[in-house]
Amino acid sequence: MNTVVPLVRVEGVSKQFPTDGHARVHAVMKVSLHIDHGETLAVVGESGCGKSTLANLIIRLHDPDEGRVLLKGLDITDLGPREIRPHRKTMQIVFQDPFASLDPRVRVGTAVAEPLRVHGIATGEEANERVGELFELVGLERSMLRNFPHQFSGGQRQRVCIARALALNPELVIADEAVSALDVSVQAQVMNLMLELQQELGLSYLFISHDLAVVERIAHRVAVMYLGQVVELGSREQVFTNPRHSYTARLLQAVPIADPRQRRDRPLLTGEIPSPVWPAGTGPEVVNMVEVEPGHLVAEE
Amino acid sequence: MALLAVDNLTVTFDEFTAVDSVGFTIEPGETLGVVGESGSGKSVTALSIMRLIEMGTRAKIAGGRVELEMPDGSILDLLTQDEPTMRSIRGNQIAMIFQEPLTSLNPVYPVGEQIAEALRIHEGLGRKVAMVRAREMFDLVRIPEADKRIGQYPHEMSGGMRQRVMIAIALCCEPRLLIADEPTTALDVTIQAQILGLIKQLQVETGTAVILITHDMGVIAEVADRVIVMNQSRVVEQGPVEQIFHSAREPYTQGLLSAVPRLGSMAGKDEPEAFHLAGSLR
Repeated sequence: MNTVVPLVRVEGVSKQFPTDGHARVHAVMKVSLHIDHGETLAVVGESGCGKSTLANLIIRLHDPDEGRVLLKGLDITDLGPREIRPHRKTMQIVFQDPFASLDPRVRVGTAVAEPLRVHGIATGEEANERVGELFELVGLERSMLRNFPHQFSGGQRQRVCIARALALNPELVIADEAVSALDVSVQAQVMNLMLELQQELGLSYLFISHDLAVVERIAHRVAVMYLGQVVELGSREQVFTNPRHSYTARLLQAVPIADPRQRRDRPLLTGEIPSPVWPAGTGPEVVNMVEVEPGHLVAEE
Repeated sequence: MALLAVDNLTVTFDEFTAVDSVGFTIEPGETLGVVGESGSGKSVTALSIMRLIEMGTRAKIAGGRVELEMPDGSILDLLTQDEPTMRSIRGNQIAMIFQEPLTSLNPVYPVGEQIAEALRIHEGLGRKVAMVRAREMFDLVRIPEADKRIGQYPHEMSGGMRQRVMIAIALCCEPRLLIADEPTTALDVTIQAQILGLIKQLQVETGTAVILITHDMGVIAEVADRVIVMNQSRVVEQGPVEQIFHSAREPYTQGLLSAVPRLGSMAGKDEPEAFHLAGSLR
């Protein structure tokens, strides 16, 4: 067990959503993990596996049905809207679609200054100065401050969203498919920026992605989610070179490799992921995690 | 003679040239990968081959030739054909599948009937015979529980199953060329692997040539025989897949390749690593 208190610790959180009728979506089930200072924990899985819900639970955009979220050792699970506010400065989030995350009628400089104003940190000239610094930090020019979102390319817009997320000097940035909608050349540039910022500012990332090749590049540790539960958790090396859960192996097997010399003759895969929707009062079985080597946890099958 | 020869194709939207002097050929049974980033002109090229681009848009095919070799050996320039002729070519000679199968399928008809419809129109089959063939197509594209699934509506199926239905519709008239425009982009990676595997297998079974349009270099590396790289409306480089990936000459291609994360490239490294961008991205 770590003696150092991690930045974030999640203990057995669950979240269900009602559907029409009496069924429930078991979006996240009994998930436990932690994020250390300065590290990137990637959460990978396919559509509907619960990775975004998990992010929203950590940042308290959703309230968990059970379990606890600890921020630097402090239990923030039951804090009210007013009490949680100071802690929001510590955790910021960047979403997939930068166009949807920016108000089309608000100048980007104003958008980036908004968190400073909301949290009473800076206004007026002081805020402008800080926003200018943030723009330079993410590789945009100060002269772009007065532009509107539509005047930017997708990659530049995502840089604006990153600048806004960094405005409050957070310790954790949650990137929820933050590079997924970008063209590959832009994706690489934004990922390089994220790595630079991590070095420079000591940030931790919770990097949510469906793309294993991207995750392999950016993560220190990886959690694989399947149907609402973490089925494998370990260092990047452990998960990618020594996957122990059948679902992780299946995912890795499915990723196309950008090298024609590594073409594999693969058997035709079949089968799809079952639905996470269960009738009320029933639900999937909770997996039992076993530590197969230090820091490498795998669900028993 | 190639199955399809595109020569000097140029397509404009008012002042903007979306496809600029594009040329390539595809041989029978071959898989040609068309790769490029958003807005590079990949889809406009495909829609121009099908002569679908001018429908309801301001696009204009400003020049070039798209020559298709017909089964009797004659050559047809698709850009000069009238609409009835094009209708007989679409589906029969060249079929197309798109990224989002849900918008390609009619929501108010069971999927089986939609396959049968294509067979009735193009092959002149009767209703009953067409349904029997539709059922066979379900087996061809490996849809499990085919007897139950054939009566389902599109919304009752998953994305992967819907794309299988689209492939079944596209292949039911045994086209000699299939154009697949980002066919797996909306799908999860395990489903993508299934669909790509299926397309490859069907190609072996039916001998159909495939033009695969994608932004994903991984997909290209897995399935293409030859590749054309598009950037800003032009073909910047083309060649066999090995050559494109291992000895690209153009700075744009080199840049693109340097930005692609390759699974396995981080093995043995402790820390995350930035991309070492090359070529035009340097």
